[in-house]
Amino acid sequence: MSRYDRQSFLGKDSDDVLHGATIGAVGLGGGGSHIVQQTAHLGIGGHLHIDPDIIADTNTNRLVGGTLKDLDPALPKVNIAERMVRGLVDNPRIKSINGSWHTALNDLKTCDVIIGAVDSYIEREQLERFARRHLIPYIDIGMDVHDIGANGFLIGGQIILSMPGKPCLRCCGLITNERLTQEAGKYGAAGSRPQVVWSNGVLASTAVGIIVQLLTAWFINPPNFVFLDYDGNLGTVTPNARMKLLANKICPHHPITEVGDSLFDLRKFVAR
Amino acid sequence: MKAHFKITGALLAEVRKDLARPHPFAFERVGWISVGASQSGDCIYLIARSYQPVADDDYLPDDSVGAMMGPEAIRKALQSSRKERVGMFHVHTHGGEGLPGFSGLDLREMAKFVPNFLQLSPRIPHGALVLSNDSIFGHYWLSEKSKFQIISEFFEIGMPLKKWKGGYE
Repeated sequence: MSRYDRQSFLGKDSDDVLHGATIGAVGLGGGGSHIVQQTAHLGIGGHLHIDPDIIADTNTNRLVGGTLKDLDPALPKVNIAERMVRGLVDNPRIKSINGSWHTALNDLKTCDVIIGAVDSYIEREQLERFARRHLIPYIDIGMDVHDIGANGFLIGGQIILSMPGKPCLRCCGLITNERLTQEAGKYGAAGSRPQVVWSNGVLASTAVGIIVQLLTAWFINPPNFVFLDYDGNLGTVTPNARMKLLANKICPHHPITEVGDSLFDLRKFVAR
Repeated sequence: MKAHFKITGALLAEVRKDLARPHPFAFERVGWISVGASQSGDCIYLIARSYQPVADDDYLPDDSVGAMMGPEAIRKALQSSRKERVGMFHVHTHGGEGLPGFSGLDLREMAKFVPNFLQLSPRIPHGALVLSNDSIFGHYWLSEKSKFQIISEFFEIGMPLKKWKGGYE
């Protein structure tokens, strides 16, 4: 009996499919660390971990896999993620980048799926654009906690599957010029935002479910564009109205004619 | 050195649908898939952009082959490659299932026209693909004077993602 026997309904060759896949996780904080843990449990063999940060004591309320012992000396988050994968996956293929994803473009090109668990809209937009240019499905997760005064707090978030040719984060209204401008204006003064472990877990688990749908045909005709809203107060994950409205729309923001690297030169490649 | 070919499931379905249309006199249809390119390490990524069918009038009557393109079909593809800075991959189907292969005739004809594309647009690989009903096999060229290479892996981007080995690594 395989140790993956309890997930054998994913397909007779699912162990090999999952071990043969490579997932790029950009951002290994509250959301990304859940993703790494779950993809490791699933038996995903290829892991590209990217995060520029080291663990801080304020991360320990939600960074899955991180312990208090990791604080002194403070470990890079990629090291914590790598430790988690090595403890769960046979013969893993791991690449850890303790830096910006912009320094890991060649590694990202090798991924079957990229998942972004980043705070900034600018980073989201750039990461999605990169994924689109290389025909790589991109999954975005994000959450916020809002102070609504006398009524307490509101927790909300989203999970979006951005498939090449299908609606993108702009189509979904997550990325807007106003948000990008506002964020650019606050550069360097973002401060820390409230984040909690259970909400990150819901978003990450839902995203991992989408990864499994992408890699294994365990049920017929799953949606190839996903836009889900998370309501942390009610504890619900529901399809956003745009998921139905945009289901058959072709994205105008990332035309398929833009795929590839416009600077690629075969002659230089051959002459290396 | 290896090459990976990526195409969306939607575009591949469009190609298959077009190639299945009957032609007024040819036994089969042919077309072109344009590609962008990228690299990582020693791997070239050939990333499909669009499909151009060969127009009905650009076939030549020739009973000895399934389909014979006329010079206008090749001229139009060369023009697209130059204008849009894309690689051009000739495509036809053998039907059936499993990994297909080129016939001797396919290989002979490809060797005649693909080097012309490298001469005109040397910045990007060009080549040819043959489809079955569930797979693809292909060759690409790195320069006008070089021998073809076998595309090592194919990726169909859809739900679910599909990938398969195209030949030797």
